[in-house]
Amino acid sequence: MTGLAVAARVGDAPPSRSLLPKDARPGWRRLWLAAIAVLGLLLPFMVNGYWLATAVFVLIAAIGALGLDVLTGRTGQISLGHAFFLGAGAYTGGVLGGRYGLSAALWIPAAAVVAGILGGLVGPTALRLRGLYLAIVTIGLVFIGQHVFVNVSYLSGGPGGEALPVPRFGRLNFATGAHVGGLFLNRDGLYYYLALVLLAGAMVYVSNVGHSRPGRAMSAVRDRELAAAVLGVDVARTKVTAFVLSSMLAGLSGALYGSFLGFVVPTQWNLTLSIQYVVMIVVGGMATVWGPVLGAAVVVGLPALLQNVSGSLPFLATGTNNHGVLTVSDASAIAYGVFLIVFLLVEPRGIVGLGRRFASLGSWFATTRQEKKADGVNTD
Amino acid sequence: MTTFAQLLFAGIALGSVYALVALGFTVVFRATRVINFAQGEMLAFGAFLTSWLVLSGGLPFWLALVVGAGVTAGIGLAFQALVLRFALGRPDFTVVMLTLGLAAILQSAIPPLFGSNPRANGDPWGASALHAAGLVLNWVQIWSIVTAVVVLVAFYWFNRSHFGLAMRAAAADEEAALAVGIPLRRVFAVAWALAGLVACIGGVFVAGFPSTLDPTVGNVALLAFPAIILGGIDSTTGAVLGGFLIGAVQELTAGYQPQYLSWLGHNFYLAAPYVVMILVLLVRPYGLFGSRPAERL
Amino acid sequence: MNALEVRELSLRFGAVAALDGVSFDVAAGELFAVIGPNGAGKTSLFNLLSRITPLSSGTVRYFGQDLLAFRAHELAGAGMARTFQNLGLFLPLTALDNVLVGRNHAMRAGLVGSGLRLPAARREEAANRRAAWEALAFVGAAAVAQRPVGSLPYGMQKRVEIARALAMEPRLLLLDEPVAGMSRGERGEIAELVGRLHADTDTTVLLVEHDMGVVMGLADRVLVLDFGRVIACGTPAQVQADGKVVAAYLGQPLP
Repeated sequence: MTGLAVAARVGDAPPSRSLLPKDARPGWRRLWLAAIAVLGLLLPFMVNGYWLATAVFVLIAAIGALGLDVLTGRTGQISLGHAFFLGAGAYTGGVLGGRYGLSAALWIPAAAVVAGILGGLVGPTALRLRGLYLAIVTIGLVFIGQHVFVNVSYLSGGPGGEALPVPRFGRLNFATGAHVGGLFLNRDGLYYYLALVLLAGAMVYVSNVGHSRPGRAMSAVRDRELAAAVLGVDVARTKVTAFVLSSMLAGLSGALYGSFLGFVVPTQWNLTLSIQYVVMIVVGGMATVWGPVLGAAVVVGLPALLQNVSGSLPFLATGTNNHGVLTVSDASAIAYGVFLIVFLLVEPRGIVGLGRRFASLGSWFATTRQEKKADGVNTD
Repeated sequence: MTTFAQLLFAGIALGSVYALVALGFTVVFRATRVINFAQGEMLAFGAFLTSWLVLSGGLPFWLALVVGAGVTAGIGLAFQALVLRFALGRPDFTVVMLTLGLAAILQSAIPPLFGSNPRANGDPWGASALHAAGLVLNWVQIWSIVTAVVVLVAFYWFNRSHFGLAMRAAAADEEAALAVGIPLRRVFAVAWALAGLVACIGGVFVAGFPSTLDPTVGNVALLAFPAIILGGIDSTTGAVLGGFLIGAVQELTAGYQPQYLSWLGHNFYLAAPYVVMILVLLVRPYGLFGSRPAERL
Repeated sequence: MNALEVRELSLRFGAVAALDGVSFDVAAGELFAVIGPNGAGKTSLFNLLSRITPLSSGTVRYFGQDLLAFRAHELAGAGMARTFQNLGLFLPLTALDNVLVGRNHAMRAGLVGSGLRLPAARREEAANRRAAWEALAFVGAAAVAQRPVGSLPYGMQKRVEIARALAMEPRLLLLDEPVAGMSRGERGEIAELVGRLHADTDTTVLLVEHDMGVVMGLADRVLVLDFGRVIACGTPAQVQADGKVVAAYLGQPLP
């Protein structure tokens, strides 16, 4: 490299990793993050039980959505098989935590590991299959998975389903709640903080990966696979890595979800569930860290919201359907479909993309005012 | 041997439905390069609509079928004109998701519109059957095979026609097609309308097999995926052959698996088509008859 | 040792021969240009050397090794880098990230090191960022390093692509029409860039180009292809004077 270094112009300093693009101001970002962190920590004390439970579901789903985003948003592999890995995680938790009574410190990571291993086995099928074919094979994965789940009662309790364990860390049992400092946290509150910590960790981790070598390889494979190969990117390894990471997060999410829900049936790990996660990443914003979180908030939050207000909306009914009545779940599903279509057509970068549009609009105003003040300053 | 023949007949009848569904997929794909993941729900919607027209609307079956097929064709057309038109040139993923969005909407629109209770599909044959050669041949099954054959022959002629050629040209190269004056929008619209039409017909017959129509009927199309994959997405012949093959696999598995391969679990016949599909894809990543798309560097 | 020794290379698609019995040598460190009318087989040659397209017959030795034993993604590690006629850039990524993808094969950080930001991974990342930065500076694209490549003007994109190839620290650099679609001034700048590269490093450069001025000014030797066959090979002066070359480009004069 010395030849190039000599030939390079003197005085060009390489930017450090933390250099942000011109239109972002570090101060604002830190402030936003701090505000969100405070809000996140205080939420359980600010909302009632209904919304707290909803928030827990949102956080748990966000972990799974983050995983799907790694595979589909960052690496470009269309997967409708996420439900399978969610279920695998849930049942791993069920077997290790429920049947064998192990501590959550074991079955929670184990759920991630087992799902990750399954992802590593499925991954190689993506190597030879493109786009649509891969999507269809992942649908097959969901069906085969459901078949296995229904038939292997040891795992799933058979078609009737089974109860999944509540996390227990030594003497701390989520079912009974705990005293932390001077505060009492009930079951939902404990789940909330557990999910919050795990989600935050997952977000940091995925962000790190995205900004470094594996993340770049994933983007390259997504954008132009052949060119990536010619540049020396190990495409096969990148794809399998994406599957493994994606499945690990799905397994983690599935285990927490099943545990929080309390009772799961094998038929719930279906194609509709997979599609809901796709809606999350599309609506939230793919290949971003906050996108999947926002998307999870929308997808999980919408039915909760509708359920809450269904009393005052005349055309919405609660409960199961008989005839000609629009239920909350149907209305939500229709909404998901509409969101999916609208976002894909209008703002493919999701809510995060919308946010960036507004932000750049704001900074455009700011910079034009600045330029009017400081004459003659020529920037790129 | 009778059991085998019986199962085979059932398989061919089921396969004819899959072939119709596969045809719907292929028509759209060959014209527009789009895989319509909503095909199953279009099928369900059409079936429910037809059933409702017969049971609640009192229409004669054939009329209800015509109206139902027309409406479903209209849905396909509308989706193409209002949504897909704006997604031209977008990556595969986007288009797949758009069709999934349609699927979600259709699936969830059925219960509010038609109710979700299982009901008869409105066909005039019910459980009546023809007894021949020691076999029981349900009229529904017979008619589904006949209808499928008629539709396939019609499609074959259509493909050979001027318009069919236009469709193939549009799929091969949109710009070139435009340059020679092929009305792309009309071509795409027709393709989607045909898909809707075929979906409705398929849906009505599919529901005739267990003789009840319930919301899970849309899953049939999901079982048709292995059919088109086996045959190769861009090959009509392949799709149809794949459809019959999958139908046969399913019925034969349902018939024999509990006896001989019971360790594979209950209702393995539901997962069997996908297992077969995955095995085939491992060997031939583009299906039995499909072709590798060219990638320009 | 020669950088490349190509013998009787042929690429056939049915009855059509994109390349027919092509043979030539490229000495280490030289700047070797491949020219010829459109359809002469130049990009096919590159795709073949990049092991994207399989050949029909022939042999290629790359620094003494059998090139055909390599698979496409192994070439980067063996010191071969190339640019693409239609730009092989990853549009949503920044220029810096694009260049860094080129260095992926030489880096080791994986999910664990990168995800947890372990010290070894961070050191490796910093070192490679510096190298990528230097490559961008060399081609004059330092100022746009943090911009998404899709938002850059065409000329700048081409520079970034060259920077990416350079950052791979190649022994053999394949440049596929580096000045195509550029204005006159830009052509001069890119040509000067390539010339500087040739003068200051010992990288062997294989250049496909249509612009005669650029080629003749830069190349040590030139290979002329027409309809997949070699019709001349020599110094720029020799090739320009060759009657066959003139005929291939301009056709035979009328009697």
